Amino acid sequence: MFVNVNGKTCLLPELRTLDALLRFLSPAVPFAVARNDEVIPRGTYEECVISTGDRIDIVHPTAGG
Amino acid sequence: MNGPQMEDQLNLYGRSFSSRLLLGTARYDSPSLLADAISAADPAMLTVSLRRQISGSKESGQSFWNLLRESQRAILPNTAGCFSAREAVKTACMARELFETNFIKLEVIGDELNLQPDPFGLVEAAVELVKLGFYVLPYCTEDWILCRRLIDAGCRVLMPWAAPIGTGQGPRNPRALRELRERAPQITLIVDAGIGLPSHACQVMEWGFDGVLLNTAVSRALDPVRMASAFATAIRGSRSAFLAGPMSVQEIAVASTPEIGRPFTFESPQHPLQL
Repeated sequence: MFVNVNGKTCLLPELRTLDALLRFLSPAVPFAVARNDEVIPRGTYEECVISTGDRIDIVHPTAGG
Repeated sequence: MNGPQMEDQLNLYGRSFSSRLLLGTARYDSPSLLADAISAADPAMLTVSLRRQISGSKESGQSFWNLLRESQRAILPNTAGCFSAREAVKTACMARELFETNFIKLEVIGDELNLQPDPFGLVEAAVELVKLGFYVLPYCTEDWILCRRLIDAGCRVLMPWAAPIGTGQGPRNPRALRELRERAPQITLIVDAGIGLPSHACQVMEWGFDGVLLNTAVSRALDPVRMASAFATAIRGSRSAFLAGPMSVQEIAVASTPEIGRPFTFESPQHPLQL
């Protein structure tokens, strides 16, 4: 399946849920995730079904003023 | 700390802080320098941001997160880099999920060159974020109409700039800042951006502003830790000066030493029995 992760289109194995995708990508902790611009609360990743063509944004804390 | 100092706390949406300095975490030469600057500044809050992970930055991101946690300071995420209300609202929602706080420093930039806030986007985003339950701290200009619209939107804290971000010019428009203070006495006002020196912070604190948010003035100083300490001292001192009630400025000199009884002076002749 093709999923856009952080602005890049990625060819990924068939992953049904966001939880499975995050296990596959293993991003640095902590992070927050949006699917198609909608924030997905942690604790609901297993219920969040992903489909080919979805846009996934994963963000982390960084320094800021 | 004595009684009056204990009572004089910075209040942000019902949360009290003993410090009136908010410190940015960007542009330090090293994480240890940032940690030392935080200790020296003793800030109420630390501003932070959120970004996609850059390849190879996994470890540095985690060490930054550990540093934030160890500092035990309240976190104020920003929406830096957003040029529209829609973008800012989405970023704020991500920040709330990431940092687990309803506080948000709302930035909607209208000009790439001077990073001036976009007043229209700012109000639009503030209205939406207040509805979503955020505690909004908008980075704005000193324009009274904009500030009034933000207050109408439900903002209880405003953060007008002193000058463009990162310039260190100090208050560019003192008269408008002072007028804003007078016209919004019930609103918490924090001067954000453009402060370069402790004397700039003193100016705005002596005018009755409630706090100062700094980043570059500390992080780009030759000795950031010493500068952080200098700002902390300056902000405490100038807040005390404001509370003490400064004297009113006079147009002509007023001698402070009593005139009466000066030696070697001659007065008009008097009857000896009156002496």
